[in-house]
Order: sequence, then C-alpha cells, then structure tokens
Amino acid sequence: MDLANAAVAELPEDTRPAALLRGTARGLEVVVHARAEVTAIIDAITKRLDEAPGFFKGSDVRIRVEDGPLPAGSLRRLDELAEKFELRIVEVGAVPSKAPALAVVPAPGTLDLEAIPQPNLAAGSVPSKLEDVPTGAVRAAVVDAPAAEPSDAPIALAAEELEELAAEHAPVSFEEPTQTSVPLQLAATPEIELATRTTTGPRFVVGPVRSGVILEHEGHLVVFGDVNPGAEVRATGNIIVLGRLRGTAHAGIGQDVGFILGLRLEPQQLRIGRKVARSGDGDAPNDAEIAFSTGDGIVVERYSGKLPRNLATSI
Amino acid sequence: MGRAIVITSGKGGVGKTTTTANLGAALAALGHSVVLVDADIGLRNLDVVMGLENRIVYHSVDVVRGKCSVQKALIKDRRMENLWLLPASQTDDKDAMSPDDMRALVLELKATHDFVIIDCPAGIEQGFKNAIAGADEAVVVATPEVSSIRDADRVVGLLAAAEVPARLVVNRISANLVKRGDMLSQVDVIEILALDLLGAIPLDDQVIATTNKGVPAVIEGKSLAAKEFIRIARRLAGLEADEAKAVGFFTRIGRALGLSATPA
Repeated sequence: MDLANAAVAELPEDTRPAALLRGTARGLEVVVHARAEVTAIIDAITKRLDEAPGFFKGSDVRIRVEDGPLPAGSLRRLDELAEKFELRIVEVGAVPSKAPALAVVPAPGTLDLEAIPQPNLAAGSVPSKLEDVPTGAVRAAVVDAPAAEPSDAPIALAAEELEELAAEHAPVSFEEPTQTSVPLQLAATPEIELATRTTTGPRFVVGPVRSGVILEHEGHLVVFGDVNPGAEVRATGNIIVLGRLRGTAHAGIGQDVGFILGLRLEPQQLRIGRKVARSGDGDAPNDAEIAFSTGDGIVVERYSGKLPRNLATSI
Repeated sequence: MGRAIVITSGKGGVGKTTTTANLGAALAALGHSVVLVDADIGLRNLDVVMGLENRIVYHSVDVVRGKCSVQKALIKDRRMENLWLLPASQTDDKDAMSPDDMRALVLELKATHDFVIIDCPAGIEQGFKNAIAGADEAVVVATPEVSSIRDADRVVGLLAAAEVPARLVVNRISANLVKRGDMLSQVDVIEILALDLLGAIPLDDQVIATTNKGVPAVIEGKSLAAKEFIRIARRLAGLEADEAKAVGFFTRIGRALGLSATPA
C-alpha cells in the first residue's frame, strides 16, 4: 500500500515534494521535508488526504522529518490537520538513517507476545493524544519558561555516586556494548549496535513508558509522558522526560557529559556516562529538575529555564 | 459474534477470579449470554468461586485434545439464565494449551455467546500468553498497592504490544483509608497507569463471605461491591460511560506548569 513514490533520494533535491505520505503496517507515515515552507507541507498532506477522504480516519501517524528540524510553527498546523482528518500523531522524529541502529521498530505483522514490547507500540494504545490538548499554550510555555534566577547551589546532593555499581550494572562502554538489560525483558530485544559515534536525530516518544520496557536511542531522547518504575530509558545523548521520571534513566552513554531533565524527577536510578546515582529518600519537589554529572558525581537541581554552565555543549 | 474480555492483573491475589465471576454474573443478569473461561490450567479456582466444582466432567484441555466438543464441556449455572463456565484442567499445566488453541476455543465460544470472559492466571508467562491470545479487550484489575500497580503497569505494556486495549478496575478500595491518606485512591492509580477506569470496587467483607460459599456477590445480593460490579458490567456492555478517563498527558503538563484551567 505504498501511496507515494518512495524513491525520494533519486530526485534532484529542489524538486523533492514538501511532504510524502506512505502507508505502513503500523499506520500512516508522513515524511516531511524540513526545508520546505510550512504551507507547502500542509498543502501537500491535505492534497493527499483529500484524495481518499476518510480512508486514514483513526490511523496512527508517524511524522518523519528530513534534513533538519521541523519548520517553526508546523507542529501546530500538523496537529490541526490531524484533528481535521481524525488522525492520531503518535511519533515525531527524524528519518531513520540508513543503519537505524537504535531507532528500531518492530517488524510488521509481529503482533503476538513474541513481538518486542516496544514503547512505540505501547504508545499506540495510550490515551494521551496530541490532539486533545491545549497544546499551543503548553508548548509555548515550555519554550518560554520563565528564566528564574539560576540556582547555582546543587539542591539535592542526596544522590550518591556508586562507581562500583556502575561498573557492575551499567553498560557504559561505547565500543563493547554489553546487554545486561536484555534478560529482564519478556521477549528478545532487537540487536543493538552502538558501533559508531554518529548520532541520529533526536527521538520523540509518546509515553507512558511502562515497566519492563527498555527504550534506547543513539542521540537525544524526548519522552512525552511518564517513565514508570521498572522502565528504563537510555540514550547516548541527553534525556528529556516531559512527565514524571520514575524509572531508570541513563544519559550520555559512552560520554562524560549529558543531562537528564524531567518535569518531576523521582527516578529509581540516574546514570550519566559512568556515574550512577540513586534517588534520595525524601519527596521530590514539585518542579522540573535537571540532573547532570560533575567531576564528583551527579548533581540534581531545580531547572530554572537555563541549562547549567557547560551543558550547552552537550546538545 | 460476541466479545472476548480477559481479566488480568500480573500480580496474584488481587481479585481476578472474583471479578470474573461477578462481572459474568452481572452481565448475565443484564440479559447477555455469558461464558466464563478459566485459563488457569493446573490451579483452577473459578469453578470453586462459582460453586460449580462438583459438576465438572470435561474441561478446556479435553476440548483442545479433541476428547469432547466445547458445548459438552460447558457447565450451565442453574442460578442464572444465561451463564456458563468452561473449567480448566486441574491435572495439566499451562503447556497443555497453545495460544492458537485458545484463540480457536474463544472464537468458537464467541459464535454462540455475547461475552466470553477469560480468567487469566497470575504472572506473564505461558498462561498469560494463552489467556490474552483470543481476547478482544482486557480488564486489568489492580489493588491500590504499589506492588499491584507495578505489575499492572508491566501487564498493560504487554497488552499494548499484543494490541489488546485495556481498561482498569481498582479493587478493594477503602474510602476510610483513602480519606486518612493511608491508601492510594483510584485517581492516584489511574494517574500512574494512564488507563480509563471502569470502576472501583470497595473493600467489602461480604465478598469474602460469599466467595467462600461459592456464590458470587452479585448473585447473593445487595452488598456495595455487588452494586459496583453491576455498574462495571453496564459499562462493559456499553450502557454507561466509563467512571473516569485516563488523565491526559498534556493536562498534567499544563498542571505541572500551572497553566491548567481545570484543576485536578
């Protein structure tokens, strides 16, 4: 059911369409050309959808962006479009590179339990839809979070460094990926290759990421929703959880810098590079917090709308 | 064609079997024809809770092995008009059946009944895989305890991977304990599990008493729990809207940022 010409690469660049639609086993996939005009993108999608009105109604949509980030303002327009055609946007991300090392998707047709309990699939059933949302306001607010006074003093040093634990449990080596985490899963995890340092674009996942799920990405990882206890999110870049982080997060795998940002940090464990910290016993404040590693260990402080010094380079 | 609903939880002892028996009886009382399937091969309980233990001649493993037809293995509950039980074998184990066997069995039952309610065993191994194989939807039972919620979360993930939509029943809620702040409320539970809530069953001594007598609370009468089971059955049958929608992610973000117009 390939609705569009998939051989994009063979076309000269400037004639590439602003947006392509294709049907996949998991629903509709929209490939958006990031350098195109917002209106051109919206028009292209609308045109294709109008050709078969109602056909994709209720489908899950995955948006893949080519050649960079989405043009400003297009996400809101895509949301409106999704609402109009009764589609459900479940994922927004970069076009997977030729060797989609970590952004693995389950093979089509494997719907039984042998299939990987992939967070993508989990997301598919999740009621948090992009469209039932005061999104505009919220997104704007996320971006323009008030730049309060940066609190330089680390406020939560309850986190203790456990280098030994790190050596034992955390597969931190870039060249020799261990798979200690795999046996925890009911089904086999896809082969994970951490062979190259070239990162793919950020990966966006709609949560909740549930217990037993291990979500990995080479690059930055953004979760819209909670990461529940028993779940693990792992990335070679930074991790941002727009929800409660209550499982385990490992950022900066194979590197020394990286941060983990959550609207509420109540993790079982935080790992950044080779450093490990476990949660303190007290209640987490009801604020967004950011965890990053210093020479001495992992520091958690209130997120004031600014990245702590030196972290900007990790983006 | 009927609907197959699996009652599952991950953790044991949270009330799957009691919920199965009561929802089955309540749906039958609403006039639907209902068959209860015990998927807990080797540790069957549903027959005991239903008080039909001494009428078992054939069971589901006999059906799978071709010893008898499905219809022959069904036990009719004489107290109700439209209620049947397909018991499990007590002498085999979970490997006696495959997910495909279960799928075929459920499909056959769906052809003749409005509801096929499957009582899932605890755990996430073979028995669980069998139980959810033929299900169109799932009811996840959780008690307001951290361990139960943790397991339920895992199970919801597995159900999602198997593309079985799930709704939640919170069992054994004590209004007094919740009020005193000593127990999680159903709102806390759905906020963690992000599932739509079918209903919350109050902690009720009468359920324990009637369950031990082999009479589901719904058949026995007017306890608070029985009333809630009937309400949940009406929701399953589509006669009422769900108790509560899962708390939307963006609502929560908005709340976290202090933007929400409607407080929780």
